[in-house]
Amino acid sequence: MIEVRGLSKSFGTMKALDDVSFRINRGEILGFLGPNGAGKSTTMKIVTTFLAPDDGSVKVDGVDVLEHPLEVRRRIGYLPENVPLYLDMNIHEYLTFVGQARGLSGSRLRERLDWCVEACGLRSEYRKNIGELSKGYKQRTGLAQALIHDPDILILDEPTSGLDPLQILGIRELIKSLAGHKTIIFSTHILQEVSPVTDRVVIINEGRIIADGAVDELSRGAMGTNRVFVGARLDGAAVETALRGLPAVSELKPLPAPAGCRFEARGPFDDDLLGSIERLARERDWRLTELHEAPYSLEDTFTSLIRRARGLKEVA
Amino acid sequence: MQGSLTIFRREFAAYFNSPIAYIFIILFLVANAGLFMTGFFLNGAADLRGFFGNLPIVLILFIPAVSMRLWAEDKRLGTFELLMTLPMRTVDVMLGKYLAALAFYLVALAGTLTLPLMVIALGNPDTGAMFSGYVGAVLLGALYLGIGTFTSGLMRDQISAVILGVMACFLLFILGDGAVASTIDGWAPGLGSLLQNFLGLSGHYEMMLRGVIAAGDLAYFVGLTVVFLALNTLWLEGRKY
Repeated sequence: MIEVRGLSKSFGTMKALDDVSFRINRGEILGFLGPNGAGKSTTMKIVTTFLAPDDGSVKVDGVDVLEHPLEVRRRIGYLPENVPLYLDMNIHEYLTFVGQARGLSGSRLRERLDWCVEACGLRSEYRKNIGELSKGYKQRTGLAQALIHDPDILILDEPTSGLDPLQILGIRELIKSLAGHKTIIFSTHILQEVSPVTDRVVIINEGRIIADGAVDELSRGAMGTNRVFVGARLDGAAVETALRGLPAVSELKPLPAPAGCRFEARGPFDDDLLGSIERLARERDWRLTELHEAPYSLEDTFTSLIRRARGLKEVA
Repeated sequence: MQGSLTIFRREFAAYFNSPIAYIFIILFLVANAGLFMTGFFLNGAADLRGFFGNLPIVLILFIPAVSMRLWAEDKRLGTFELLMTLPMRTVDVMLGKYLAALAFYLVALAGTLTLPLMVIALGNPDTGAMFSGYVGAVLLGALYLGIGTFTSGLMRDQISAVILGVMACFLLFILGDGAVASTIDGWAPGLGSLLQNFLGLSGHYEMMLRGVIAAGDLAYFVGLTVVFLALNTLWLEGRKY
């Protein structure tokens, strides 16, 4: 659906993008992650034809952004980071303007206006000047603008920035409700945003893609080991020695516990870490208070990847 | 074309969405009628030469203030990014904006039609010269607006756009002045007269005040306007790279 290949872009001497490639299939939602200034917005601006790359190509539905920009724009709904709003218009006038500029008219336009206003929860403020709206309503008006022509592809640059938790939840629900029908790229530097909405992430840092895949898959690669938390109402030293004896355990870290003991055990993904601890506990007849695998959070993965990317750069 | 019309409607409405438009029009009318009337009874002639004669100077201040918001405002609001990702060409967006500003100017200019009515009531003027004078006024405004649209596209804030626009319009005006041309001729023989003939607007505009609408003068105004609008479009397209 969207194929980004070898994208490079410089602003003056600053290299904003360096050989960025990724692809998204129809109906997929992609979280585009990275610290501020990593190149997320620049990439999105190139995909939406606002900027041209120095090098590389972007194909949307097989259509090249440089050769047929208007064709690409027709298929895309775009919410830029700075929400593009005319403050002197009310929501109705503004959405009508964008709808007409995108070639809608008559009953089709009315139908889409209705849908967008409903989906983005704008009904109560519909006739209010945009300049008087709260930040949350402005953001949602921007989102409605991106949806007005019912595009197959949505490109949302930081759709939840500056919103309160409840509003974030609302936008997240909206994005989720569009899943399956539309291909969506949304960027964020807030990690909690991603996992509730999608599985697939691309992580960018200093203009380079440093990771691309499902969150679980990425954590495996980034962290290298699986981890299991074990807790028991027993003497810590004895449990520790026994655990260290297991071949699947490569690392063992004692953790503070109110009563008894608690450990974080790590081992290679291929070995059955959880199973071998379970068997050990059964053999020794331990009464465990805790035993579970702890998947890495996106934060862990992200920081580890960024750190590694920066480390590599320092070495090089 | 449909796209230009949509942009035109929004831009034209935007002028009247704020009180500034009305203040502008009133100032424009007061300045023109005031300047004209101070000389009218002294001259004792039933014509509009005084009005049309002042126009190139009055418009140097008025027009860039009309066109300043065209692009600079969009850049400030972030709507520039919206416009440049709509499924229409940059030239269509530009035309919609430019024509909206031109229409606004025509509204203001229509307000001065009380002057010819008064002159007709008071005397027996040359209506042909008045008509060609208005043609000149429209063309002059169209050219200044082209320049103003261009400078608005260069700038991110409206104040810089208006200052640059005023300077550019003034340059074009002063190049047509005979004294300026001969001074430049004094430094570089031939250059002053060359600039006066090719770029200076007084000569072309003067002819219309006298009642002559010549193809060459039309070509000057239309051609130069198109040049600035083309430069504007190219500049905005070039920003992508």
